[in-house]
Amino acid sequence: MYFAGVDVGSGRTKMVVCDEKGNIIAKVMKKTHANFQKLVNEILEQALSQNGIKREDIKYIVSTGLGRYSVPYRDFQVTELTAGGFAAKNLFPDTKCVLDIGAQSTRAYKVDERGIVRHFKVNDKCAAGSGSFIVKAAKYLEIKLEDVGRLSLYSQDPVPISSICAVLAESEIINHITEGKKIEDIIRGIHDSLADRAIALLKSVGIEEEITFIGGVAVQDGMVASLQEKLGKKINVPDEPEYTVAYGAALLAKRRFSKLVGAVS
Amino acid sequence: MKIKKLVQDFENKIKDIDFKYLKEYKQKENKKIFAHFPVYAPHEIFHSFDVLLLGLNGAGNEIEILYADARFGSFICSIVKSTMELGLSNRLDFIDGFFFTGICDAARNLCFVYKRNFPDKNVIFLHLPQNPETEHAIKFLESEFKRLIKNLEEMTGKRFSEDKLRESIKIHNENRKLQRKLYEIRRNEPDKLSTYELYTLLRIGNFIPVEEHNKILKEVIDYIPQREPVERDRIKVVIEGSFCEQPPFELLKLLDDVGCHILDDDFILGRRFILEDVNEDNPIYSLAEAYVKKTRYASVKHSGKKYKSKYFIENVKKLKPEAVIFMYAKFCEPGLFDYVLFKKELEKEGIPYLFLEFEEKMWNFDRIQLEIETFFESLIFV
Repeated sequence: MYFAGVDVGSGRTKMVVCDEKGNIIAKVMKKTHANFQKLVNEILEQALSQNGIKREDIKYIVSTGLGRYSVPYRDFQVTELTAGGFAAKNLFPDTKCVLDIGAQSTRAYKVDERGIVRHFKVNDKCAAGSGSFIVKAAKYLEIKLEDVGRLSLYSQDPVPISSICAVLAESEIINHITEGKKIEDIIRGIHDSLADRAIALLKSVGIEEEITFIGGVAVQDGMVASLQEKLGKKINVPDEPEYTVAYGAALLAKRRFSKLVGAVS
Repeated sequence: MKIKKLVQDFENKIKDIDFKYLKEYKQKENKKIFAHFPVYAPHEIFHSFDVLLLGLNGAGNEIEILYADARFGSFICSIVKSTMELGLSNRLDFIDGFFFTGICDAARNLCFVYKRNFPDKNVIFLHLPQNPETEHAIKFLESEFKRLIKNLEEMTGKRFSEDKLRESIKIHNENRKLQRKLYEIRRNEPDKLSTYELYTLLRIGNFIPVEEHNKILKEVIDYIPQREPVERDRIKVVIEGSFCEQPPFELLKLLDDVGCHILDDDFILGRRFILEDVNEDNPIYSLAEAYVKKTRYASVKHSGKKYKSKYFIENVKKLKPEAVIFMYAKFCEPGLFDYVLFKKELEKEGIPYLFLEFEEKMWNFDRIQLEIETFFESLIFV
């Protein structure tokens, strides 16, 4: 008996299948494209190709993320905050605050002892301070996205990025390149700028320990280091933070199914 | 009867910022038209002079602000700017006069900005009593109503008639009764009447003669029992805060879609401000008495010695919602001041609440949907 969570995010779409004990049996990630129907069907097919999972064995599917209503095979849909909070609490039981930075959105929220979202803030209209900003910066700096997080850790003299607008920051970054600033210092400056915005959002919900950091941007070690330095405390980061919300949706699927049939441990 | 089609037609009429319907009405009926800014207006007095009173709730997201920004600071709410823009873009040239009360600093100043910008128009400012608990409050308002009557006599060339005002009170009492009935239907049978439908059916009353509105409401009420309900799971909520600037229609539809069962709200509050029938005897005094003693608590009316927040929490406790949603227009000072007191009462009672801000010109509802859904899920998954 399996349960699935599918997180249709603005940058990536993720699916996690877990068993009755909450162990992850399959996980798939694909780049989100405009044809949501095709995308979510492909991702399901790929998940089914792992570990011999049969469709009829997946008893309940919860969708989440911005495309949660575009998943035709879903049994129920929840927001990414509900799913993320539930997963963060499950992975780190002392979690009180969750910071989720995805491709287009940054979300800061507080959860109660059950992982239920109690208070939350989402970034405003523009995507500055979210993952797409880092993607753009990597492009200007002509480095691979997967190298950004690691390179940031080598910085000795971070370059401040003052602009909060992703469009204006582009010219600021290019200026720094022409001034001969080191790439790792520019990247750390970007991480610091993102961390400032994320902390402002966290402050608006009230910072409480422990903080768990999830979402695609949490894979970047430099971003984690910047946040820890500015907050002056350690933060929890799951092993594969980009899957956390999909995992939370899968856990909620298990929970909902158990409530409906009362059969799952 | 097709309520869906009827409501869609009304929405189109409400959104028409060129007021085609009203211009045709004026030409055909040869009647004067006044426009009033929210919240309260003594509709009965205008009606007794055969003047149609247009309830002007801004211009929604239908207008581009080109001129009004030069008259107001960026911290002023949208409805004030869009109302000004309607005037400055000559869309209200067919209106014979404007009526304002001092609900907040921005609205009060809008009246005098209108006076300055449109010197040929009849712009009336009615002073409402600040303290409803003094014995002079009713007398004071009665004298203000008499000043308004004198103004209308001069403008229309008609003599005031107590009998006509009594008749107007009777028709408006009927209107309020029908509106209360519709609210009762939504409260008890949300699957038969959505919030969007209820809202549109009430708001069209701001554009048409009250007699026509009464006829429509009666027909709808008679038809509703025949509707096939589409039952679904909903969360019972009370909505507070949208008494002046109105949320976009899309936001109201979203409230229905995400599963709000709204037990009470304060949308277009002016239409439902007076909670009981107004006496027909001694009509001018009775109208003043109704404003002072029979109106709902509101952020735009002083509540006397008893705090407004007490009236608010009494209403919430009576309705027993699962949660309260505060929906305030951005920069709404009276509303945001009261929010602090209201939420304290909810916290004392352990009633969950959600705070949302909207603007009449907003076009992206993803974030607000996310907030409402997450809030509901926090109630469902407990």
